[in-house]
Amino acid sequence: MQRLVSVVFLVFISAAIAAGAAFGAASTLTFSELYEKGSDPSAKTKALTGSEVSIVGYMAPPLKAQATFFVLTKMPMAVCPFCDSTLDWPTDIVLIKTSSIVDATPFNFPIKVVGKLEVGFEKDEETGFVSFLRLSDAVFERL
Amino acid sequence: MLRSLLSGVCCAALVAGNVTAADLPQAKDSYFAAAKAALDAKLSVQPITGKAKNIIIFVGDGMSVATVTAARILEGQKRGVDGESNVLTIDTFPYTAMSKTYSHDGQVSDSAPTATAMVTGVKTRNDIIGLNQDAVVGDCEASKGKEVKTIFEMAEEAGLATGVVSTARITHATPAATYGHTPDRDWENDKEVGDALAKGCKDLADQLVNWPAGDGFEVVLGGGRSNFVPKETADAEDEGKTGSRTDKRDLTAEWTAKSNNHLYVTDKAGFDAADLSSGAKLLGLFDRSHMEYELDRAKDAKGEPSLAEMTTKAIERLAQNETGFVLMVEGGRIDHAHHAGNAARALEDAIAFDQAIKKALEITKREDTLIVATADHGHTMTINGYPKRGNPLFGLVVDVDGTVAKAADGKPYTTLGYANGPGAVFPALEKGKTDAQPAGVRPDLSTVDTQSPDFLQPALVPMESETHAGDDVVIYAWGPQAHLVSGTVEENYIYHVLSNASGLGQQD
Ligand SMILES: [Zn+2]
Repeated sequence: MQRLVSVVFLVFISAAIAAGAAFGAASTLTFSELYEKGSDPSAKTKALTGSEVSIVGYMAPPLKAQATFFVLTKMPMAVCPFCDSTLDWPTDIVLIKTSSIVDATPFNFPIKVVGKLEVGFEKDEETGFVSFLRLSDAVFERL
Repeated sequence: MLRSLLSGVCCAALVAGNVTAADLPQAKDSYFAAAKAALDAKLSVQPITGKAKNIIIFVGDGMSVATVTAARILEGQKRGVDGESNVLTIDTFPYTAMSKTYSHDGQVSDSAPTATAMVTGVKTRNDIIGLNQDAVVGDCEASKGKEVKTIFEMAEEAGLATGVVSTARITHATPAATYGHTPDRDWENDKEVGDALAKGCKDLADQLVNWPAGDGFEVVLGGGRSNFVPKETADAEDEGKTGSRTDKRDLTAEWTAKSNNHLYVTDKAGFDAADLSSGAKLLGLFDRSHMEYELDRAKDAKGEPSLAEMTTKAIERLAQNETGFVLMVEGGRIDHAHHAGNAARALEDAIAFDQAIKKALEITKREDTLIVATADHGHTMTINGYPKRGNPLFGLVVDVDGTVAKAADGKPYTTLGYANGPGAVFPALEKGKTDAQPAGVRPDLSTVDTQSPDFLQPALVPMESETHAGDDVVIYAWGPQAHLVSGTVEENYIYHVLSNASGLGQQD
């Protein structure tokens, strides 16, 4: 029991250190800066590909439990009963891939995510989820 | 005592009688003079008592009084002029009334019964379109014989031209009320109707394209393309996406098959190229679902016309009819952005709505065209605190003395806020859970960019979707018989003004 606690504690410390480093160095990207038009990435998005970026958004309700990924949205992701009868992903979403299991935050709390920006279509084999923009090795904090 | 009081009254009256306006100490005050000029202008306004050849009904979906005020301030601030005293086009309408928006069964209503009230003259139940209050929500059998006739159907039968324009899906409640009759507003395509198809109920997209009234719509412009296209067919804009219909019918093809002058367009280029001068009928569906918010329109993949551009094109086409026309223009997404708790998009769409009204005033004649602009229901956004004159609308409240106002928790707050919605700092209960979750703490907004277009204004009660509000909304009127829009009236009174002015639905 004590061993488990100290391991957890160590993981927490190292994650905190990694997060601290990441939150300091990353370039800021906003949702409105992601695309030029339609699904064409902007010049800024292209320039930052492969580097650490930070984006503020909302965590969509998890697609599955114990996941190491989630979808970051510009606005809280919920079905509005009088707008849409079915849930449809907006085009400007970012897939966030984390190294540890995601501790879900409520869909309406803004979070800041830092990770390495990846651009290009990718299909997740397990879920079939198709993404175009991703942050890998990401960490996040509630604002 | 009584005597001295009486003499005092006598003398005060005498003094008042002898003072001329120019002698008043406030005579040269700029506010005083401007309001006097407004009165002088009003004294010369004569009601237009003739018949309305044309009718345009503008519906700002969810455009509460606070939405109009906030849009007015924002529009001014964006132009670098005083926002509070700014004048929107809608503010120039000479006649207004308050509209009571409750429905037959709801203290607070949704867009289905409210739009039905405006175009048919009856209040019905929430979620129901084009049927009276005896219908039952979602019950196809019970809807038989409950149909009420819309002023658009009356217009078609009388040989007038008709059109419907919206930034929402054209099968969405407000635009659907011009042509649709359904016990469930969600029955926008055949898949949504489901089992009720076998009982003879039809989806709204089908009802629009195969509308039996007269020769059908001359102009239909909006979103909602997927409701018209089968799921086997790729979408015209979004890669990897398809239509939603499960009956293999392509209603856009059914539209163009009606004549060689029935046109169908899906983007800005097609819209601009559509030549309606020889009486063509135009169906334009610019997005799979709702069209973009005005704030996001420039980034649409294939481009979308603005609400003002759609309104202009619609009026130019409809005006070819010598007998007249009836047109509905909906700013459909003011409502959606409010539901999202995002005032920036709601207000930019309200400004775009006002610009569409401006275009309509420019290209129609006040003598023959009755324009009624209103909202179907309100929303819970408020303009709060005591911000100083000229304070940025999306900013933190700064008091008249220049200090940032602090709430009782010691933190600053924004001028705009919602009574409920996703901007609440208390999380909504997660699905499947019954335990209350820990309460949130209000964030310190002094380090938050509240002027970002994606900022969600603070809300009190946590809801996934902010709700409508039950307060009255304003009806603005311009043109023949517009003076009948006055006082506090029921929402379904609007139909009777339109009917009275146009003669539609009146016995000769
Ligand atoms: Zn609504």
